[in-house]
Amino acid sequence: MTPVLRRRLEPTVFLVVAIVVLSVVIRDDQYWLDASVMLAIFSMFALSAGMSYGQAGIPSIATGAFGAVGAYSSAILTMRLGMSPALTLVVAALVPAVIAYPLAKSVTRLSPLPLSLATFAFSGAFEIGIRGGGQLTGGFVGISGIPPLAVAPTPQAMHVLAWAIVAVTVFVCTNLIRSPYGRAINTARHDPLRATADGVNVSQLLAGFFSFSASIASVGGWLYAHYVSYLSPESLNTATAISALLMAVVGGAQTILGPIIGATVLTLVNNFLPATQAQGMVYGAALVIVLILAPQGLTGLGRLPWLQRRGARRTLRPISQP
Amino acid sequence: LIYPLAEFVIRGVLLGMTYGVLALPIALLFVTTDAVDMAVGGYAVLAAAVVVTIAGPLGIAAAIVAAVVTSALTATIALKINRPGLGDSMTGVLATYGLATCLESFVLTTKGPDPMTRQSFGALWDLGGIRVDPQVGINITVGLSALAVLAVLLFRTPYGRSMRVSALNPMGAALAGIPVWWVWFSTYIIGGGLAGIAGVLIVHTTGTIYSVGLPLTLSSFAAAVLFGLQGPARAFMGGIVMGLIESLSSGLLPGAWGSSVPLLFIFVVLASGRASKQAIVGARA
Repeated sequence: MTPVLRRRLEPTVFLVVAIVVLSVVIRDDQYWLDASVMLAIFSMFALSAGMSYGQAGIPSIATGAFGAVGAYSSAILTMRLGMSPALTLVVAALVPAVIAYPLAKSVTRLSPLPLSLATFAFSGAFEIGIRGGGQLTGGFVGISGIPPLAVAPTPQAMHVLAWAIVAVTVFVCTNLIRSPYGRAINTARHDPLRATADGVNVSQLLAGFFSFSASIASVGGWLYAHYVSYLSPESLNTATAISALLMAVVGGAQTILGPIIGATVLTLVNNFLPATQAQGMVYGAALVIVLILAPQGLTGLGRLPWLQRRGARRTLRPISQP
Repeated sequence: LIYPLAEFVIRGVLLGMTYGVLALPIALLFVTTDAVDMAVGGYAVLAAAVVVTIAGPLGIAAAIVAAVVTSALTATIALKINRPGLGDSMTGVLATYGLATCLESFVLTTKGPDPMTRQSFGALWDLGGIRVDPQVGINITVGLSALAVLAVLLFRTPYGRSMRVSALNPMGAALAGIPVWWVWFSTYIIGGGLAGIAGVLIVHTTGTIYSVGLPLTLSSFAAAVLFGLQGPARAFMGGIVMGLIESLSSGLLPGAWGSSVPLLFIFVVLASGRASKQAIVGARA
């Protein structure tokens, strides 16, 4: 196997092995099977955030909105028009891409912080739109009774299907990032002027990649709708998007598997926290501690100065506290 | 139509004063450190909770102290991650989001989900048939005073000069002997103090609940960038405009439009590239 092929396959193989081990460990445990499916769904959201922020430098807070587009479009089409979920998957993947492209064209030229707040505002307005959607979206009440997927009638089958979708997504993302297209994305992220000089249409490239990341979130939303079978304006919202971005950053947004690792850590933290009003204090504190200890994400721990050889340390040190 | 419209305008100006006071530190911090303290709105809510708990001037002082102490904690953590000269500031911003989550949960745990409010005046002023809360006068006085003090600090003192130099070129400022880390740290503290004042004004004006911290930060950021980031006066004016838009849209527009128009306005403001710190040709705005 050539080094290039190995680099392109490594993340997917690692993930598949981890899923096989996980499947053997949890087997018929209903609680952990449910947690595993939800983790797979949130891994899709985190992958979407990781692609847009980690690879293209677009810290989007609209991941939840794109997830909601996929979830609501599939729910409406299956329940109102009787379409098959297999067909609605195609719609769910395409519609957010069409919405995301012009959005990205208007905001990707901004620096990261205003950009994230602009997508936050977009996401908030979209959430209000769902609430005011009347019969179509079910308004405040939402939509219940969304049919489950026929190909995954049992929790075990849903667990396998959800993680298979995550593995395929990881494979596609890895190959995209390792391709000339992916290298152009990385260049546009770090030095847009250089990318322009190289003949890259930065705005178009980033908008296209943002659309791709929106589709990933939307497929996650499609899974969510057919697994949970109920949707409301609070199901997939700005809080979901912020969680997805945090998952990507905590795991390591610039790596392919980092967002999935971040999703695993934060989902486990959430699952083991008591469901009380004080939950936010523990969650927030855990988040701050992880970001202090591993600002590059958990997958970046190996790059910390004290874990590197002396000669490999950076020469330009940041300005520190006197 | 005139009287309800005038009431919406007055209500908007009242709301805008608090946005303006919060927009001042947000603009200052963004220009100085290229970061946003997502917990700024949380300090205001914390200050409101303290004012509701402790009555009188002691409560007001305790509220501002609580906001300043919390902002010092945020500054220590954010600057540990986002040190001057290090580059990407997003991780530090996300850490301040973690602290905002902590603050929200703390206020929910200690004060519960009910609205927090405190009335200073029993009777309303009657100005030509329009009933006005005397709190308006206090808000305007406090808001303009904060603006004046900050403008003098920024443009008439050596500290302000250090702050502006640290914003322009942190590495160069450090080489010139300016304590950039402390300048950045103090910017967070100023933000905490002003957010504390805003919290005191909010609780005496419209009241608040535990969960408004993040929306307050978002609206104040949009206010800060609305007229450009060239000075505190523009940030303050942006706050007034944001308050007016929120008040008029919620009062005059039906249903969901009333809530979504301010968000769409924020989106348009940000997408227009007004938050550009450095207008470098070819760079991302």
